[in-house]
Amino acid sequence: MAPSDNPLLDDRTVTFLLDEVLDLRAHLSAIPYFEGHDREGVEVLLAMVRKLARRVLYPTYKAQDEQPPVFRDGRVHLHPSFHAAWPALVETGLLSATRPVEHGDQQLPFVVHAVAAAYLGAANLNLVGLAMLTSGAAHLVEAFGDDALRAAWMAPLYAGTWTGTMALTEPQAGSSLADVETTARRADDGSYRVRGSKIFISGGDHDLGGNVVNLALARIVDPDGHAIPGTRGLSLFVVPRLRLDGGELVDNDAVTTQVIHKIGWRGLPSIALSFGDRDDCHGYLVGPPGRGMPQMFQMMNEARVGVGVAATATASAAYHESLAYAFARPQGRDPRHRDGGPQVPIVAHADVRRMLLRQKAIVEGSLALSLTAARLVDVAAHHPDDATRKTSQRLFDLLTPIVKSFPAERGFESVALALQIHGGYGYSSEYPVEAWLRDQKLNSIHEGTTGIQGLDLLGRKVVAGGGEALSLLLAELATTAGRAEAAGVDPAWGAALREAGDRLAATTMALGQRGLGGDVEGMLLHSHDFLELASVVVIMWQHLGLATAAQAGLARGGPQTPAFYDGKLRAAQYWVTHELPRVDHLADLCVRAEGSYAAVADGSW
Amino acid sequence: MKILVPFKRVADPENANKVKVPVGANGLGPKIETTGMEFKPNPFDEYAVEAALRLTENGTAPKARLGEVTVVTVGGPEADQTLRGALATGADKAVRVEATDEQLDGAIIARALAKVVAQVGPDLVLLGKQTVDTDSAQTGPMLAELLGWPQVTFAVQITNEGNGSLLVTRNGDGGVQKVRVKLPAVVTVEDRVSYSGGVTSPPTPATHKYADGVRFAPLPAIMQAKKKPLEVKKLADLGVDTALSVKYLGFEPPPARKAGVKVKTVAELVDKLKNEAKAI
Repeated sequence: MAPSDNPLLDDRTVTFLLDEVLDLRAHLSAIPYFEGHDREGVEVLLAMVRKLARRVLYPTYKAQDEQPPVFRDGRVHLHPSFHAAWPALVETGLLSATRPVEHGDQQLPFVVHAVAAAYLGAANLNLVGLAMLTSGAAHLVEAFGDDALRAAWMAPLYAGTWTGTMALTEPQAGSSLADVETTARRADDGSYRVRGSKIFISGGDHDLGGNVVNLALARIVDPDGHAIPGTRGLSLFVVPRLRLDGGELVDNDAVTTQVIHKIGWRGLPSIALSFGDRDDCHGYLVGPPGRGMPQMFQMMNEARVGVGVAATATASAAYHESLAYAFARPQGRDPRHRDGGPQVPIVAHADVRRMLLRQKAIVEGSLALSLTAARLVDVAAHHPDDATRKTSQRLFDLLTPIVKSFPAERGFESVALALQIHGGYGYSSEYPVEAWLRDQKLNSIHEGTTGIQGLDLLGRKVVAGGGEALSLLLAELATTAGRAEAAGVDPAWGAALREAGDRLAATTMALGQRGLGGDVEGMLLHSHDFLELASVVVIMWQHLGLATAAQAGLARGGPQTPAFYDGKLRAAQYWVTHELPRVDHLADLCVRAEGSYAAVADGSW
Repeated sequence: MKILVPFKRVADPENANKVKVPVGANGLGPKIETTGMEFKPNPFDEYAVEAALRLTENGTAPKARLGEVTVVTVGGPEADQTLRGALATGADKAVRVEATDEQLDGAIIARALAKVVAQVGPDLVLLGKQTVDTDSAQTGPMLAELLGWPQVTFAVQITNEGNGSLLVTRNGDGGVQKVRVKLPAVVTVEDRVSYSGGVTSPPTPATHKYADGVRFAPLPAIMQAKKKPLEVKKLADLGVDTALSVKYLGFEPPPARKAGVKVKTVAELVDKLKNEAKAI
């Protein structure tokens, strides 16, 4: 199979972000935890990742999309290409690369891991999805399990000999996990007997060998059948497909009942699981009882960055596909020569340029934001200074719903533009864009829908610590605006960002007061618009950072070409002129609790 | 077995359309503009490293190193990353001969490599059949000549016969040729040497199937590669003649492709092929 002609991500933009925007060298030297790493080693790693993405993972993607897993004889059979590509991915050591040396790992900065995940995800989300689920499950056991649980379940997951899942969702409990009904009853041997049904469990069954380790939420019931209701009653369990019995792996009564037919991520099976039909499904409690939700959510934040990275990656692949197409496809003529002359490539047409620049602004804004968030995760976890760790965590918490939702929502629009540029060919499966459009839709649904992200941002994150996180963000906006002006970027851009930040703060204040005044419903009525408002501002912040580095690069003759730097300035200009003006309108909808949809009576739909 | 693999860092040919040549006097530019260009290891040299690793290991998991592979490049410090990549995939040692591009031509590189061969003492020099930037395919043959060693070019398959000789399959214009060569020797390779059956070497059982293509460096190996020896030598200290025998007069981009023409009939096509293209 031929390697990818599509670069998936622009290597020069990645280098620019790491060296001229995020200053990876300074990041590595400021944090002793990363002392085993250096910039050159990161480049060697990225060279390997690029090759793996373009030559190994990408060539298997189309076949996996066209031939989804098959449910046969009670088990799930993957597309055969998984059997070579999965070991190749595991052998890179990336599954556990960010984990500490004491678990035999490499303490790789999360920001570097995120770049690697972006390349690999752009090449093939099915394989990267399985990898993220596996390392996520292992990370939960690492963080909250005891030594025995770690030895039994974490080690084989990090090694990639087994795979993992997050088994949260049930048919009646999706976004509303408080309604989880799966039960766990303590048995004499200290483990639990689990009963219940889970659904949409990605990677829950396959034929790659080894074992599947489900990290499941279940409700502990006492011998009388009583349980604590709501999220406080939920505990986290390891519920494997095969359990260890005297050193042997034996069947654990966790049965695949169905493979879900999906429109995207079609290579990665999502299944329905039934635990304990024979009352022989053993579960092993991870952490204290009743702590399932907070434990899960500690990990969920990193998973949400993972979704942002995956969404960015998919939008990036589609952008590059449409960019190459726009330069290659002759169609129509220069409007000044209506009656003759050769056809021009469609990139010559204004409307195609509009669609390209919008994609570029979305993709590069998303990438910059995802990597900024990943860098904050590194600082929050490992910086030697207490106060720096705390403020980074606060800021990261605030940004998480935006990182989760912006690349997914605008990324979907971005892939739709890539398809549009392809015209009728884009609507056919001869071209890869339609598959990416289907893949992209999941990113606004899984790991918390966009609706949930809006509620999280407005109901929880902006008000946390008495608005401290928002103050931190506003300070960052001001710093970036100041730097931009000093670097010679159009001062109007920085001023516009400051003003938009003030509008965000005023809107937050007004909504907070509405909530405190008892009108919580009115406060949350436009949580989606509030999320949109905050996203527009945060992405402007990112673009201004890119523009600042680009302007500086132009002035001193930096390592990239003038054309490259100019492209970054154009994307920033686009965001200033096309997106930032929406802030006032969105703020207005939020503040006056505009009532059209709230007021529709049931009979009026 | 000790193997030396000369290795070059080249501008990424996949970005060939980004290559810019500033126009100077007579329409010729003084150099190719390298700002913003991406660099990578010469792919043919990567195939040579892969072949060298297979010849010096037992390839069944876990792999065991049984010989020594030294990678060498001639260039500036920016090439260290390329060497580190090769060390990460399994090479044991690296040597860089410090020089700038302006100081070098193919003959000087061959002379410098001959000195490195004398210092390292390999049984075999394996290298790519050509680099993908200049495509001149001269370094290997010139090196063999300077060393007075036998050479086999364009190898697609290498079998270590175990008695101080290799059986090398090469692709030539006339078909496939099998050559037995006594070590020490210089062998230049094509991509197919990195395919599953590209190398046969006794410590690895014949039943073992390599994956097609070059191996990927796992992250732990990338980190360990920093601790492997990387020796830097100065070109001047090697005692080689550094007089340039090739002078670059200028550069110009290749002519843009002209639009094709559509012919209406087969007869017209045949006529054009015969009288315009003079192809038949």
